[in-house]
Amino acid sequence: MPESIPAPLIIDVLKDTFREARAALAQEGWRQKGDHLGTILSVPDTHQKSVLAALDKEQAIRVITCATEDEAATINAGLWMGGEPVVLMIQHAGLYASINTLRGVAMDGKVPTFYMIGLLSREKDKDPKDSRHSMVRFAEPLLDTFGVPHARMEGPDDVHLIPEYYRLAQQRKGPAAVLVGLETA
Amino acid sequence: MAMKPEEILQAIHAARGGAICIPTMTTSPAWRTIAPDDLSVGCVGFMGGASSLGLGLALANPDRRVVIFDGDGSLLMQLGSLATIAGARPRNLTHLLFKNGVYHTSGSQVTPGGLTVDFVQMARGAGYRNAYAVRDFEDFKKRLPAVLSEEGPLFVELHTGLAEKTPMTDRGGKPFHEQVDTLRRRLLTAAGGAA
Ligand SMILES: Cc1ncc(C[n+]2csc(CCOP(=O)(O)OP(=O)(O)O)c2C)c(N)n1
Ligand SMILES: [Mg+2]
Repeated sequence: MPESIPAPLIIDVLKDTFREARAALAQEGWRQKGDHLGTILSVPDTHQKSVLAALDKEQAIRVITCATEDEAATINAGLWMGGEPVVLMIQHAGLYASINTLRGVAMDGKVPTFYMIGLLSREKDKDPKDSRHSMVRFAEPLLDTFGVPHARMEGPDDVHLIPEYYRLAQQRKGPAAVLVGLETA
Repeated sequence: MAMKPEEILQAIHAARGGAICIPTMTTSPAWRTIAPDDLSVGCVGFMGGASSLGLGLALANPDRRVVIFDGDGSLLMQLGSLATIAGARPRNLTHLLFKNGVYHTSGSQVTPGGLTVDFVQMARGAGYRNAYAVRDFEDFKKRLPAVLSEEGPLFVELHTGLAEKTPMTDRGGKPFHEQVDTLRRRLLTAAGGAA
């Protein structure tokens, strides 16, 4: 059975992911501007709201709330060109809303774009493909259609997927996504 | 008399120094002739994205000016970006709107509301530090040094006529991913040099 992941665990993993990303950027020759470890671009995801609440108190990570997911994916491209590490936090509906930007910016622009996507309303006892909700059902097939590598976090043991898929986005120079199976605790 | 977009772009090119510029739609063909350099990245293939691309670049390069050349139809497509930009408060960002009242590139259909839409009020309402309209080229030249240096986010609505070329009549230019790659390398060299 899938389990909820506690927010503090996700925050710790995000910090480690950003630290590793900063080290790789420094290796490339970038110097850090400002004192934040990295930037979260968020269009508030109900599913990950405990993480967003915890991030409010977190000085080391800069959070920018965007009006749309199109903006988030495009701001990410600008930050990447300036050597800044970024994570996008959105929900499945936001993925559907911003698919032209995923295609035009992340894919055609060859911009590393790492998404954490909440599967709001996903039933605990069901595979997403069997969900009663179209919002839950279509996320993974849509990512497959666009050839976006993705994995689902089904509990605390799966948080290693965050740095893995972050790295994958950098290596492939394009989008990669981790789906959040259950609402974070 | 509406200003000529090409004259505005010429004046910006002469004064910009190390500013990153982000053309889109009908400013793209003119800009790549006027400034065939590698400190620009065009918004092509994701209409409405110029403002957000500029915001990301401005946040990542706080010591460098970033200038967006937006289209009025394009801005209407991602109007919420005005609030996102104002909320993020990039001090080094100038958002220029080339207001011609039409979707010139797709065949000059009138935009919703056409020329009556007041983007200055929208930018002010969103919380830009300063926003105003310019209708006359002499006035633009006078204001240009401040346009490129005053504390942002700054919004300027430029009342222009139609550009001579559009991305449809004048195809070409480097593909988006090459522009992205070139600008990133250029900024990396600058960052390394300053370290
Ligand atoms: C998502 C999307 N919808 C529609 C189009 C078609 N389209 C291409 S150019 C354009 C007009 C752009 O107008 P504006 O931003 O005012 O720039 P101008 O051409 O006037 O300089 C439109 C509607 C598109 N490229 N993308
Ligand atoms: Mg127009």
